Amino acid sequence: MTPALETSRLRKAFGEKVAVDDIDLSIPQGSFYGLVGQNGAGKTTTLSMAVGLLRPDGGSARIFGADVWSDPARAKSLVGVLPDGMAMPERLTGREVLTYLGLLRGLPREVVDQRAAELLSVLELDAAEKTLVIEYSTGMRKKIGLATALLHAPRLLVLDEPFEAVDPVSAATIKTILRGFVAGGGSVVLSSHVMALVEQLCDHVAVIDKGRVAAAGTLGEVRGGTTLEETFVGLVGAADGGSKELAWLSR
Amino acid sequence: MAVAVTMVRMKLAVLRHSMNGQRAGFVVMGGVTGLVLAGATIWLGLSGAEVLAATYAVWMLGWIFGPAFAGGGDETLRPEFFTLLGLPPRRLASGLLAGAFVGVAPAISLLALTGLTVHGARLGAGAALVSIPALLLQLAVFVLVSRVAVALLGLALRSRVGAIGAGLANGLILALLGQIWVVFVALGQSGGVPPVVGEVARHLPSGWGVVAVEAAGAGDWARTGAALAALAVLVALLLAAWAALLTRRAGAARTAPRGRVPIRAATASGAVLAKELRTWSRDLVRTHQLTFALAYGVFFAAAPLLIGIPDMLPLAGPIFVVMAAAMSANLYGTDGTALWLTLMTPGARDVRGRQHAWLLTVAPVAVVLTIVLTAVVDGHWPAMIALLVALLGGGAGLVPLASVYALIPGTDPHRRGGNPLRSTEEDGAVTGMVYAVLALAAVTAVPATVVAALYGWAGVAVGVVTGVLCYWGFGTLAERGLLARGPELLETMRTGRRPPLAQGEPRKWTRFENLPRRDRVIVGVCYSIGAIPLFPQGVVPAIFKVNGGGARSWFLALYLPEPWQWPTIVFMIALGVAIYATAVIIPFRRKAVAAKEPGGERATVPAA
Repeated sequence: MTPALETSRLRKAFGEKVAVDDIDLSIPQGSFYGLVGQNGAGKTTTLSMAVGLLRPDGGSARIFGADVWSDPARAKSLVGVLPDGMAMPERLTGREVLTYLGLLRGLPREVVDQRAAELLSVLELDAAEKTLVIEYSTGMRKKIGLATALLHAPRLLVLDEPFEAVDPVSAATIKTILRGFVAGGGSVVLSSHVMALVEQLCDHVAVIDKGRVAAAGTLGEVRGGTTLEETFVGLVGAADGGSKELAWLSR
Repeated sequence: MAVAVTMVRMKLAVLRHSMNGQRAGFVVMGGVTGLVLAGATIWLGLSGAEVLAATYAVWMLGWIFGPAFAGGGDETLRPEFFTLLGLPPRRLASGLLAGAFVGVAPAISLLALTGLTVHGARLGAGAALVSIPALLLQLAVFVLVSRVAVALLGLALRSRVGAIGAGLANGLILALLGQIWVVFVALGQSGGVPPVVGEVARHLPSGWGVVAVEAAGAGDWARTGAALAALAVLVALLLAAWAALLTRRAGAARTAPRGRVPIRAATASGAVLAKELRTWSRDLVRTHQLTFALAYGVFFAAAPLLIGIPDMLPLAGPIFVVMAAAMSANLYGTDGTALWLTLMTPGARDVRGRQHAWLLTVAPVAVVLTIVLTAVVDGHWPAMIALLVALLGGGAGLVPLASVYALIPGTDPHRRGGNPLRSTEEDGAVTGMVYAVLALAAVTAVPATVVAALYGWAGVAVGVVTGVLCYWGFGTLAERGLLARGPELLETMRTGRRPPLAQGEPRKWTRFENLPRRDRVIVGVCYSIGAIPLFPQGVVPAIFKVNGGGARSWFLALYLPEPWQWPTIVFMIALGVAIYATAVIIPFRRKAVAAKEPGGERATVPAA
C-alpha cells in the first residue's frame, strides 16, 4: 500500500548548519505517527519540507504517491497542515477564516458553511463569533489552525506541536477528533516533545536527533521494554545521563 | 544610570548582530546618504542662520513623519522587553532614551547638528562653546519628539476616528510641505526664502539651538540662557510625555469596530476578494495609509488655490492613486507568514483577488474625485481620464509585483506588540520601496498622458490599453513569481532574512550581499559618493564654464584661479569615474580569486 507520506533523503542546510540530514520517513496509511526530538532537532524543518512549505536542498516528499514539488495540486489537496506559529488572515473572524479557506479549496458554499459551523462548535470557538483572529489567544490560534487543517476532509494530517498552549479540556476534544479521524482510515503525523502524549496517542514513532532519524518504527519496537521517555533520553541525551542542578536555586 | 548603560550595551549588541547580509548593505547606503545630507546641512548653514534653522526644521519633520510611513521607527529595544522588570516609567523611558541615541540615524543627525558649531565658530569662541550643549539638547529633542509622535500615532490607531484623523493631519502637513512654493508665493515673495519663513523656523523647537548660538555670538547671554533652558525644559516635558505614553501602550492593537458583514462569496476568487476587502477596512494601519493618501492628493492639488490657481485641482484623484499604490506596495510583506495558506492552495488565484480588492478600494474614490474636480474647474477631460485609467491599471499591477519581487520581510501582525506601525525591521528598504513605486506608478501613466496632451481623446484609449496591460501583465508576473519562489518568500518572512545560499550553490560574488563585510562597505560607499565628484563637481561646472554663466555655488573648480579650473574639473570627473570603477571591479576581483580556491565558485559562502 502507498504510504500516506514518504520522504526520501530530505536534506536542508541553513548556511553552515545542516538542519535536516538525509531523512527517510515512511508513514503508513491509517497510522498515528509521532515525531519526537529535542528543540532544534529538525522536526519542524522536516515537516515543512514534507508538505511543500520549505524547499529542500535535496531529496523528495510524496503524499499518497503524489510528489509535493512536481504534482503540488494533488499532493496538497490530500493533506491538512497545522504549522507552528505562522500567521493567519488576521483580520477575519474564525468563521470567516474557515469560509475563506473552504472556498479557496474549491468546496461548495453549503458544505463550507456546514463544516465551519460544526468545527467552530466542536472546538468551542463559536463563543468568540465576532473576535478577529489577531485578538485570539495562543490556544485559540492553535484551535483555529486545526480547524483549517480539517476543513477540506484531507486523508493526511500533518500537525506541528498541535497541543502546545492548548488547555486540557480542548486537548481532550482534539485527541477525540484525531482518534476518530484515524479510526476512519485517516493518517496523522504530529510532532511533539511531550513523550507521554505521544505514547498515549501514537502507534508509530520516529526519534529525530541532530537532523537524522535515530530510531523509527511502531511504538513497541522503538521503546522496547521501557518507557518512551527513557528510550528517548538514551538515544539523544547527554553522555553522563544525569541532569544538572542549579545549585543557587536551592537554599 | 545602570539601566541606561545596560540598555545602551544591549542596543549595541543587537545592532552588531543584525549587521549582516543585505541589511548591512542598506545600513551602509542609508548611512552614506545621511552623511551627504549632513554635509549639505553644514554647508547650507554657512549661508546664514535662517537657512540653518529652516534646514533643522526639515530634519525634525523627518524624525516626526519618517517612522509613520517607514516601519514605525527604531524599535530595537521594545518597551515590552522590560515590562517584567517593574521599572518605574520614568527610569524605563530614560533607559530607552539612552538606547535610542545609539544608532546610525542619531549619529547622522548629530553630525548635521555640528552645523551649529560651525555657525558658532564664525561668530566667536563663546558662540562655538554654546553650540555644544545646544546641539546635544537639540538631538535629544529630535529623538524624543520622534518617539512621542510614534506613540501618539500608535494610540490614534486604536480607533477608526483616530486613524482617519491622523491620516488627514499627516496628509495635510506633508502636502503643504510638498507645495511649500505656494506658501512662499502666497507670502508675496517669489524666489528665495521669505524672511517670515526664517522667522518661523527660528521659533520652532528645531531652531532654538540656532537662536542660542546666535545670541551668544551677539553677547546676549540672557537670550542664550533662555533658549538653552527652553530646550532643556522641552526635553524634560517630552521625556515625561513619552514615559506616560509607554504605560498606555500595553496590549495588542485594537481593530475596527464590531458589526461584521458575513462573507457572501461562493468562489475561490470571490473569497480572496472578500478577505482582502475586510482586511482593508478592518486594519486601522491600512485605514490610516489610505486616508493619508487621499488627504495628500486633495491638499496637494488644492494648495495652489491659496494663490488663486485652480488648475491643479483635478490632479487630486491621480495623486491619490499613486500615493495609495506606494503605501500598499509591500502587500505580501505586511501579511507576513499568512502566505503559507496561499502555498497550500496552489489553484487559488491570490494575486488577482488582491488586485481586484485594491482597485475596489481605490478606484471609486479616485474616479469620483477626478470627475467632480475636473468638472468644477472645467479641466482637460481627455488628459485627466487618460491619466486616471492608466494609473489605476499601473497601480493594480505594480502593487502585487513589487511585493513579490522586492518583498521586504515584515513582523507578523500578531507579533507587533504595542506598536501597530512596526510592520518591519527594515525601515530603509521600506522607504526605498515607497519612492520606487511612486516613481514607477507615475511612469506607467506617461504614454497615455503624452498622447492625451497631443491628440486629445486618443490618450484615453492608450490609457485603457496600458492600464489593462499593466494590470494583467504585472499581475501575471507576480503570480508566476509567487508560484516559483513561494517557499523562499515564506522563509524570508519567517526568518526575517533572505534565504542563505545552500552548500554547493554557485557563489555569485557579483551579488552585493555575498561580499565580505569590508568589501560591502567599500562598494556601498563608492556607489553612494561617486556621483559627487563626477556630476556636481565635474560635469556641471564644466557645462557652466562652457556656457560662461551661472553661480560659483559650491563648485570647487570655479573658486580656483583660471589656469587651475579645467584641470580641477578633469580631475573631479576622473575621480568620480575611478570611484564607480572601484565599486564595479571589487566584486569581479573577488570572483577571480574565488575561482582559484578549492571548490571555486561552488564553495560554501562564508558566514557574514
